[in-house]
Amino acid sequence: MALHARDKLSRRSWLLAGLTVPLFRAEAEPLLNVTSDGDNLHVAAPQLHFLTGAPLARLKDGNLVVFLSQLTLFRDDHVTVIRRTPERFTVSYDLWEEKFQVVMAVVGRSAARLSMEETENWCLGNLAISAAGLEGPRPFWLHFELRAAKEKEISSVAGDSGISMRGLIDVFSRKAGADEQRWAFHAGPLRLGELPRTVARRIRNG
Amino acid sequence: MKLAWAGLVLAGALLAGTQDSELNVNTRYTVETVIISGDGWTADLASDQNEERISPSLRKQVAALIGDKLNPAALDDLAGKLCKEFRARTVTHRVLRGATPQYVQVLFEIRLRPTRFDVSVPKFLYASEQGFSGAVEATATVGRHNGFTFGLVSDGDEMVERYTGLVARYENTRLGTDRVRAGFQFASFHEQWNSATRNALAVEAAPGEAAGLYRARREIAPEITFVLARPLTLTVGARFEQIQESAGAGLADASNALVSDVRYRRRLDDSEYRQDFDADYNLRAATRLLASDFMYVRHGWTFRYALSHGKHALSDRLMAGLLAGRAPLFERYVLGNSTFLRGWNRFEADPLGGNRVVHNSVDYRYGPFQAFYDSGAVWDSGQPVIVRHSLGMGMHQGPMFLAVAIPARSGKVEPIFVVSMNY
Repeated sequence: MALHARDKLSRRSWLLAGLTVPLFRAEAEPLLNVTSDGDNLHVAAPQLHFLTGAPLARLKDGNLVVFLSQLTLFRDDHVTVIRRTPERFTVSYDLWEEKFQVVMAVVGRSAARLSMEETENWCLGNLAISAAGLEGPRPFWLHFELRAAKEKEISSVAGDSGISMRGLIDVFSRKAGADEQRWAFHAGPLRLGELPRTVARRIRNG
Repeated sequence: MKLAWAGLVLAGALLAGTQDSELNVNTRYTVETVIISGDGWTADLASDQNEERISPSLRKQVAALIGDKLNPAALDDLAGKLCKEFRARTVTHRVLRGATPQYVQVLFEIRLRPTRFDVSVPKFLYASEQGFSGAVEATATVGRHNGFTFGLVSDGDEMVERYTGLVARYENTRLGTDRVRAGFQFASFHEQWNSATRNALAVEAAPGEAAGLYRARREIAPEITFVLARPLTLTVGARFEQIQESAGAGLADASNALVSDVRYRRRLDDSEYRQDFDADYNLRAATRLLASDFMYVRHGWTFRYALSHGKHALSDRLMAGLLAGRAPLFERYVLGNSTFLRGWNRFEADPLGGNRVVHNSVDYRYGPFQAFYDSGAVWDSGQPVIVRHSLGMGMHQGPMFLAVAIPARSGKVEPIFVVSMNY
């Protein structure tokens, strides 16, 4: 009898757990807003604040902090990668003016005298991935990753004797540490025709 | 996906190396000062350019940041060098606002390992006349300021005898305050004597005037050092020596002395010339108050001046000593070794050592090349003073020094070859 009761309880537990997992996932998953200007897709993550913790402390100590980002478009429910767009933001903090400066490495844009919030918004606002090849009704998924690069990662791949492939492998093979600043956002399934439309952005450099 | 990330970091690495000045907004500010902080000490290089904890060359490189625009790449480089020099766990750098607008301060923070273990060779020497001398030491540094050293030594260069044995030492580099250091040393040696010394002692020494040979020596030496006013220090302590006579029943004698040392060391560094002043007076007084079988007073004076300009370095070192009373042989002065009157055989100069000494040494270095001229005399009070001279030249390569020294005397020329380390 006792065994029977335990069996019933166990089934119910499994059922409840199965139902609540998607809810928790939905609540835990940060919101990623995706818009299209016709040519490119843009992202916005109102909940994302990456100028915090250790990176912010390093900035206020007069050091550079490098953030690496990557936008990835998938088809077939994250199975097939359509394209990737990496970017690198180099942020510094003016000790006297108490303002931030950002330089984007790949697209070559920069901005200065920004507040913390303006800096975060500027970085995300300047990210884009081409929408070329996306067909209106066919679903796709968008993945956005952002991480603060550690000093060791930069120095381990570029030393006095040149570039170390071993260093690169080490950096990207390891799991994220407990203290590592890393963010990931997912959106999808999305359809190009259903995305909010924005005016094509022309952001002035400098 | 990993390759894409790798490419991005790679691009970042290349950019970080080349465009740091454009990427860091603070590069437009001028460095006002550089502060280095270690475990329990802080040095502001704008006001204290003679900070002795940092090697002169590295101190100069760090101080060169002052007055220039902030260069983050240089900070990384210097942090690496500081880490290497201090064998630190980490060296981080921070940039802070300066006292005046448009200026910044650079702060290097050195974090040492809680326990460090080092093996060093404080002395290694081969001289064609006297053979090998050397010492090897292992030091464990526990906490911030406690050093425990154990070493083995065999030295046929410094004293009349060759002493071989072990040394154990405890040092506290901060006894309550930065201005007080303490040390305690225990050593046990076995002695060997040159036949010239044995013969001279048999012929010359009148009973009761000079101490005899001994076959073993044990030393206990506590001391405490006070930083009176940088760079002036005073060391006081005691040295308890128990020596076991070679002759007869091998009775043990005690040579217990109060020791003190006053030292002044100063460096003046401008953009082109560097001057070093070093003055030292030490005193050892063996007294019945410490139950000593020997009674003597030993004075020693050393003055050194060095002038450096580019690859040129000229230095002069004057040493004088006076020993009064009956002292064991290890307290007597010796010339004709790897430091004083280089090129002479010390058993020829005085096989028993002397109780008076005067010596001067002039060294000139150009890059790795060195030439020197030594002159000096060692004698016993009441005896005639014979001044001897020697010339030499050599080459430095890192800690190694290779030299040929020639005693200046009429007749035959007998050069002595010396290979040494950390000299």
